Amino acid sequence: MAIRYRKSAEPIRTDGRDIDREIASLSGEAATQKASGSSDKHIASIAQPWRKLPEPEHSAPTYYDRPLLKEPIWEWAIPTYYYVGGLTGASLVLGAAAQLAGSTALRLLVRRCRKTGFAGVCLSGALLIYDLGRPWRFFNMLRVFRPTSPMNMGAWILCGTGAAATGAVLLPEDCALSTTCGIAAGLFGLGLATYTGVLVANSAIPLWYESRRVLPVLFSASAAASAGCALAIFPTQDAGSIPKSFGIAGQLLEIAAGVMMEKQAAIVPRVASPLRHGFSGFLWRTSALLTATSLVVGMTGRSRRKQTVAGVLGTFGSLLLRFAIQHAGVVSSRDARASFDQQRAQQR
Amino acid sequence: MAAQKGFFTDTTLCIGCKACEVACKQWNQLPDDGFLFTGMSYDNTVHLGASTWRHVAFIERPVPLKPQDDGAFSWLFSSDVCKHCARAGCLESCPTGAIVRTEFGSVYVQPDVCNGCGYCIVNCPFGVIDRREEDGRAWKCTLCYDRLREDMTPACAKACPTESIQFGEISELQRKAEARVERLHETGLQDAYLYGADSAAQPGTEGLNAFFLLVDKPEVYNLPPDPVVPTKRVKDAWISMAAGALGMTLVALGAAIFGSHARDI
Repeated sequence: MAIRYRKSAEPIRTDGRDIDREIASLSGEAATQKASGSSDKHIASIAQPWRKLPEPEHSAPTYYDRPLLKEPIWEWAIPTYYYVGGLTGASLVLGAAAQLAGSTALRLLVRRCRKTGFAGVCLSGALLIYDLGRPWRFFNMLRVFRPTSPMNMGAWILCGTGAAATGAVLLPEDCALSTTCGIAAGLFGLGLATYTGVLVANSAIPLWYESRRVLPVLFSASAAASAGCALAIFPTQDAGSIPKSFGIAGQLLEIAAGVMMEKQAAIVPRVASPLRHGFSGFLWRTSALLTATSLVVGMTGRSRRKQTVAGVLGTFGSLLLRFAIQHAGVVSSRDARASFDQQRAQQR
Repeated sequence: MAAQKGFFTDTTLCIGCKACEVACKQWNQLPDDGFLFTGMSYDNTVHLGASTWRHVAFIERPVPLKPQDDGAFSWLFSSDVCKHCARAGCLESCPTGAIVRTEFGSVYVQPDVCNGCGYCIVNCPFGVIDRREEDGRAWKCTLCYDRLREDMTPACAKACPTESIQFGEISELQRKAEARVERLHETGLQDAYLYGADSAAQPGTEGLNAFFLLVDKPEVYNLPPDPVVPTKRVKDAWISMAAGALGMTLVALGAAIFGSHARDI
């Protein structure tokens, strides 16, 4: 926006503050807030739903049907991280279990699980840092230890997983420390695969808040399914039916928890609406369909090709599930009436 | 520790002049949010956000506000602000410790620590705090922390021409607010009540350090009727996570043990 100031003959660009730097200095509480000049971009996104007239519901009026809450600002990187983190954690858990059960007979499987975990933990960190508003300040996550914040706990879990998985991959396999690292990676992986459910559940968004008891179970089941499917696509010779039974148990529970989540949310119909309608509903249904198909294909076919197909279908099912939950949360946050209905229902 | 300070916003005194919005923007040197004509009464500010820390709501109701109006219409104004909850969702969920409780009892985001993870945004049951895209960090009302340090009144309260926004010690404000409600009831405005004045009135947040006097349901002002700070209920999720982790351990061990036996045979 061009503005003519007292002293300037030429119009100058401002950052939306209307402060003439020649006569005033920036020292207010928000002085360091970066603004790239006046644009309606910020407010336009808020005003989006206002393009259509609100429904006149005099029995339960709201404020022009404006959203009550702010939308989650997380984009594709965070739901992708939920998937990658789940896959990483569950792989490390399976690796540790195989290590405990099979001694040297399952060496190839253990190695594959550890490598998957190591690659996954690196990618997880990258995705998380990418999504930050100030990526260089990632390490601020580690300046406190705060049990009230699932995200802070997650940062510590991710660091622990990273350290243990690195040790397990780099150290020579026959050394005792490598075994310890493998077990430690499995324990941290258990946290990594499941805590994201708590992360999402700890939220004021009606759908996520309502699903807080189911989400961690759903995420851990989906994590096991992801790991099973990944190992079905890239199997090892010694694994036998281990990844398959791990993945199938995960998929069965994933479908059951998904049904439970929708049922729980539907107690207040508006809360469950994003799971049933629109694009988020489509994602939700598609992910369930993919997982179910993968389950059927995986259980009926023994051939290598069928297992690969089942693995690919299941991978997309798990990935889509995370995107469905993310997108449904965004839709839910835009619906003030969902929050109002939910809170009124709880008062009764 | 200094006395606990806060706001009491008496919406029956608000005339919708937006002096609080302007004073806040000016004192804190906040950039604009863009200019858009919304058509929502006189409200072109729309919502609190990263660069908007006071927002005056304009409510056009098809019912009279008795005993003031007789017609079939009434106009309500309310200056919304961060509530500085006694138990704050943003503060408890902040993974960096950027959000702190000050000596005045207010909730403050330290801009030099915040890394813009966005977790506070989904944890505010009032939809107050937000991240500015170009800036990458979360921002909200500071209760004019810089002014409080100098023993001054926050800019919005100072600028309010009708004392709709009152600033002071919370216990004092609560006393004043109760007296005001009583007075309004005497004059016939039976609908007047306090929103979030203390822990008993709003257990989900354990009381608001910036509370309100309203004359209609909270929903009408875009305020949640019974907000709950998510961290208050997150224990359910941790228990569920423990169950999920236990299940995964059992399945993994079961698969590994029986799987390797099956292969031996």
